[in-house]
Amino acid sequence: MAPTEAAEAKVLTREALPVRSEDDVVLVRRRARELAQRRGFDGFAQAAITTATSEIVRNALVHGGGGEATLEELDRGGRAGVRLTCRDEGPGVLDLERALRGGFSVTGTLGLGLSGARRLVDEFEVRSAPGAGTTVVLTKWARR
Amino acid sequence: MRQTGQVPILRVAGVLLVAIQVDLGDTVATALQEDVLEAIARTGSTGLLIDVTGLEMVDSFVARVLVDTGRMARLMGTETVIVGLRPEVAGTLVRMGFDVSEVQAALDIDEGLERLGCKVVRRGAD
Amino acid sequence: MRPEDAIDRLQLDEREVRRRRDYFQVTDEDLARLASHRDLATRHNDEVIEALYQFILGHPESRAFFPDAATVARVKQLQRRYFLGLFQGRCDPAYAEDRVRVGATHETIRMPARLYMGAYAVYLELIRAMFERELEPAAARAAYASAQRLVAFDMALAMDTYVAAAEDTIVRHQAAVRELSTPVIRVFDRILLLPLVGTIDTARAQQVMETLLTRVAEEQARVVIIDISGVPVVDTKVAEHMIMTTNAVRLLGAKTVVAGISPVVAKTIVQLGISLTALETRGRLQDAITLALELTGRAPAGRQA
Ligand SMILES: Nc1ncnc2c1ncn2[C@@H]1O[C@H](COP(=O)(O)OP(=O)(O)O)[C@@H](O)[C@H]1O
Ligand SMILES: [Mg+2]
Repeated sequence: MAPTEAAEAKVLTREALPVRSEDDVVLVRRRARELAQRRGFDGFAQAAITTATSEIVRNALVHGGGGEATLEELDRGGRAGVRLTCRDEGPGVLDLERALRGGFSVTGTLGLGLSGARRLVDEFEVRSAPGAGTTVVLTKWARR
Repeated sequence: MRQTGQVPILRVAGVLLVAIQVDLGDTVATALQEDVLEAIARTGSTGLLIDVTGLEMVDSFVARVLVDTGRMARLMGTETVIVGLRPEVAGTLVRMGFDVSEVQAALDIDEGLERLGCKVVRRGAD
Repeated sequence: MRPEDAIDRLQLDEREVRRRRDYFQVTDEDLARLASHRDLATRHNDEVIEALYQFILGHPESRAFFPDAATVARVKQLQRRYFLGLFQGRCDPAYAEDRVRVGATHETIRMPARLYMGAYAVYLELIRAMFERELEPAAARAAYASAQRLVAFDMALAMDTYVAAAEDTIVRHQAAVRELSTPVIRVFDRILLLPLVGTIDTARAQQVMETLLTRVAEEQARVVIIDISGVPVVDTKVAEHMIMTTNAVRLLGAKTVVAGISPVVAKTIVQLGISLTALETRGRLQDAITLALELTGRAPAGRQA
C-alpha cells in the first residue's frame, strides 16, 4: 500500500504585503477576498477570511506597530484554501489566553478581533512572546 | 446635503440616510461617525437610516463604529436603523460573538423608513 | 473522475513521486536495469499485450467493459505504450501522471478495482515469463524484481486514483444530503419555515444558518419559523445556535419564531437554566404560523385587528 499520510497543503501562490498604514489593512483584506474568490470560496467563506484578515492585520498595525502580511493560495487534495501569515515585531500579546477568550482589549475597543477571527477560520495559530513580536497564521478552506 | 470624504449623507422624508458604498478604512469610518452626528445636530432629524448594502465586510472595528453611532444618535434623540446587511456579513458578525442586541435592522430602505415611523406607500401593496 | 482531476488530486510533484518511489524501493538501478531490456520488451510487446487481453476478454465480467473491436484495439494500443513505459528508465512526475491517466480511464468506464487489480497479477506473470524465457536465470530474477517494484508503484497510483474518485463521490453526496437537511420552505409570502430534523452539531448549525440567511435575503422574508420538534435533544449548545441564528436573522431585518417546543424540551431548557428570553417561542407549529401572520400584519381570519 502507498503511504497514507494526510495530503499536505500545496502552496499555489504567495505574496507578501507590508502592514505600515491603515490603507495597508484595507489592501490586505481586499487581496484576501480576491484570492478567496479566485479559489471558489462561497460568500460566507469569503466574508470569513476577509474579516479575520482585517482583524489580524489591524492588530499587527495597532498593537504591533506594523509588520508584514503574507497571503497564500493553497490546495490540499483538491480542496482550495487561503492562508494569512501576519508578523510584527511589536511587544507581543501580553495575556494571550485572555486575549483569545475574547472581550479583552487594551485599547478599550471590543476585544473581539482575535477571538472572533479564530472562530471564523479553520486553522488558527498565534506565536507570541513578550517583547518578541507576534505572528498569527490562519487558514480557511473552501467547503467541498 | 453634506458630503463626507466618500459617503454622502442625504435627508429623505425627515430622516437622514447614509449609504455606505465602499470598504471603509478606519479613519473614514470614524470621520463618517462624526459627520453623521453633526448632521443630526444640524437637521434635528429623529431618524437615521444607515444603508450598508455596499459593505462586503464588517469587522469588529466597523461594527463598533456602527453600533456606537447608533448609541450616540440615541443620546441625541435619534433612532437608528441599519438596512441592507448582507447575509454573509450578518452571519460573520454573530459568529464572531458580536453583541447585536442593540442593533435595529430592516430589510431595505422602505422598511427602514417604516420602522422609523415614516409612511411609505409601497407599490403593489394595498 | 477525469484524468486531469485525478492528477490534480494526487499532487504528483517531484517530492511526492520521490516519496512514493522510496516506499516501493524503486531505485535508479531498477530503472536502468529495465531500460537495458528495452529492445527485448519492444520485441515482446505485442505478444504480452495479446496474452493480457486474452485473459481480460476471456472473463465475461471484464469483457463486458470492452463492447466492440474498436475499443479493444484502442486500449490495446494504450497498453502497448504503457508496457514500454516500464522500460524507459525514468520514474518522474510525467511518468506518474501517465500512470494515473490509465487508472483514471479504467475508473471512468466504471471498471471495478477488483478486475483492474486482477489484470495486474496476470500482467506481472507475463513479464516474469518473458524474462525467464529470454534471459539467464540470475538476470531474469533481477529484471523481474525491478519490474515488480515499478509495477507495484503503478498499482498504488491506480488504487489511489480509485480512492480519490470514491472520495469525490462521497463528498458530492454529502453536499446533497446537506442541502436536503436544510429544507427552507416558503409557507406564505415573506414567511419561511425551516423544519429541523436530526442532531445539530456545530458544523450543521453553521450550515443551517448560512442557508437560512441566504434564503431570508432572497425571499425578502420578514419572519422565519424554525420548527425544532424533529430535534431529539435540545441542550445548551443547540440553544446557543438558535440564539445565534435568531440574531443573524434579526440583522437582516427579519424575526424568528421557534416552534415545536415539546413539554420535554421546555423542561430541559428550564432545568438547564437556558435563557430563551431573546427568542419568540411556541409549542405548536400552527401557533407559530399564526404569530408569524400577525407579525407580518396579516392577522388570521376571525381575529382581524
Ligand atoms: N499583534 C499584536 N501585538 C500585541 N498585542 C496584541 C496583538 N494582537 C492582539 N493583541 C492584544 O490582544 C488584545 C485583544 O485583541 P483584539 O481581540 O483584536 O481586541 P482589540 O484589538 O479590539 O483590542 C489586544 O487588546 C492586545 O492587547
Ligand atoms: Mg483588534
